[in-house]
Amino acid sequence: MSVLVRLGAVTKSYGAVEALRGVDLEIRAGDVLALCGDNGAGKSSLVKILSGAHAHDGGVFEIEGKAVRFASPQDALTRGIATIYQELAVAPRLSVAENVFLGSELVRTPLPFVSLLDKKRMRDEALGYLKRLGVDLGDATRPVERLSGGQRQAVAIARALRWDARVVIMDEPTAALGVAETKLVLDLIRRLKDEGRTVVLVSHNMADVVAVATRVAILKAGRKTVDRPVAGLDAAALAQMIVTGREAA
Amino acid sequence: MRSFLAKYATALAGLGVVIWFAATAPAFASAANFTLILKETSFLAILALGFALALVTAELDLSIAEVASLAAVVCGFLVHSGYPPALAIAAGLGVGAACGLANGFAVTVLNVPSLIATLGMAAIAKGLGFMLTQGVAFVGRWPADFTGLARGNFLGVPNLLWWLILASIFAYALVKWTRTGAHLVATGEAEEASRLAGIPTKRMKRLALLLTGLFAGATAVLLAASLSSAAPNMANDHFLYAIAAVLLGMTMFEPGRPNVPGTLVAAFTLKALGNGLILSGAPYYVQDIVLGAIIVGSVALSAGALGRAAFVKRLSFRTAQ
Ligand SMILES: Nc1ncnc2c1ncn2[C@@H]1O[C@H](COP(=O)(O)OP(=O)(O)OP(=O)(O)O)[C@@H](O)[C@H]1O
Ligand SMILES: [Mg+2]
Repeated sequence: MSVLVRLGAVTKSYGAVEALRGVDLEIRAGDVLALCGDNGAGKSSLVKILSGAHAHDGGVFEIEGKAVRFASPQDALTRGIATIYQELAVAPRLSVAENVFLGSELVRTPLPFVSLLDKKRMRDEALGYLKRLGVDLGDATRPVERLSGGQRQAVAIARALRWDARVVIMDEPTAALGVAETKLVLDLIRRLKDEGRTVVLVSHNMADVVAVATRVAILKAGRKTVDRPVAGLDAAALAQMIVTGREAA
Repeated sequence: MRSFLAKYATALAGLGVVIWFAATAPAFASAANFTLILKETSFLAILALGFALALVTAELDLSIAEVASLAAVVCGFLVHSGYPPALAIAAGLGVGAACGLANGFAVTVLNVPSLIATLGMAAIAKGLGFMLTQGVAFVGRWPADFTGLARGNFLGVPNLLWWLILASIFAYALVKWTRTGAHLVATGEAEEASRLAGIPTKRMKRLALLLTGLFAGATAVLLAASLSSAAPNMANDHFLYAIAAVLLGMTMFEPGRPNVPGTLVAAFTLKALGNGLILSGAPYYVQDIVLGAIIVGSVALSAGALGRAAFVKRLSFRTAQ
């Protein structure tokens, strides 16, 4: 499989805190890559670099062989990397359609030089994206805060589809969800994979990782200590690796 | 029915107030008095719409009245000194816009919370206004080219009202129909989520504060034209009224969000209320007390009805991200 994203010896510090101490990572097309590790291991820091929220301090960051340096989330989005932050995934009081098209609204030009929001098309297409994810919300004008946690994740993922993102990164998408909602989100991830998209999943839940991931990378204290296929692993073995920072014997 | 009440209860209360004064206060319901109220509403509502635009992006602009006074003084000075009205008008709008730009810079570049930044701007604008006038007002027989902006009628409707209609259409169309408007709203609703979705939230805040200043400048030009005078404190009385109009407006049409129709209805209601109180013989200070109660009551109502943190957060003291 081709390498979409490559990080080489990437470092990131917050003042005196060295969050990433030289991480190498390859994200290959079609992977569902699980990023695991204890609290403070550096997972979110890595995600923020990939998503353009923070710039890396040192090392290389390449997309399809070309070095990049993102100055803003917009840069990452236009290069095909969309990130879904659990807390910040959606604007709660905005509608489903407004959230799906947040930052990339559709317009129509009824007159030359006059461009107006195309609300009807956004409503229809928002529902279309959600259908592709197997979620039927019926009414795209509903504020997102009235949806369940899993449905909110679906809205956020629909936005990634709207951007036609090749890589969709999710930072702990199931952290606050119950059993049924977690299943919904895992199904969404499978749909993304079936569409040929690449997924990076940050998770503390080993059962989720075993259920959907194809590959797992484990961080410990700012370094990558494990990087291997998930096949053949169970949740207990994964948990063991996170604690020891080594592949189980 | 419940959702109708949630959206229009306070608007209906406003209608009730108008009917009450029409029935009880002598001369309230006359055509001349209504025209007066509408004219007064025009100044107030344009200023308030500006305040609402900043609030859409979750920023407070407490400098609107002082900025309007300063813009009026600059505009009045130029008219008074015999410069062409067009130049004076441009200067008035320019002063408003410049102050708005400075507010935007302080909030998004220096990261000063808007509550503080605009309070500082208010003091600066006030000082500059007094500096320019040395504390006295410019009064005179100004050219009709200039005063005509705010006096007279067009198609039987007072010119002032036309300006308000224009300002309202502009604000409404911007916020509801354009992509920029969607980005302004998103910035106010969820700043960080919007930024992560690629919206330039700081630029949106700068734009909103710039427009707030521009609307204050427009209010100033109209005030000066209407009164044929300019004084360094001339917009002060509109300050609390404007804030009350926006907050009361947030209880109707789109509860919890600053909105154009709500601001207009609220501005008219407040001016009708003030006028009615005076005609009923209530002492002048009653207006202030009522206004204060409306400001607090509106926010309590919006926050309570919504039961959500977002609204309160919008108004709370915090730094820009
Ligand atoms: N903005 C910040 N300022 C200072 N230190 C930070 C900041 N963000 C993260 N850190 C520190 O960097 C280290 C890595 O944090 P990071 O959030 O990447 O970990 P994580 O693996 O996502 O942890 P968790 O599982 O708890 O989400 C931690 O020591 C954390 O305290
Ligand atoms: Mg984290």
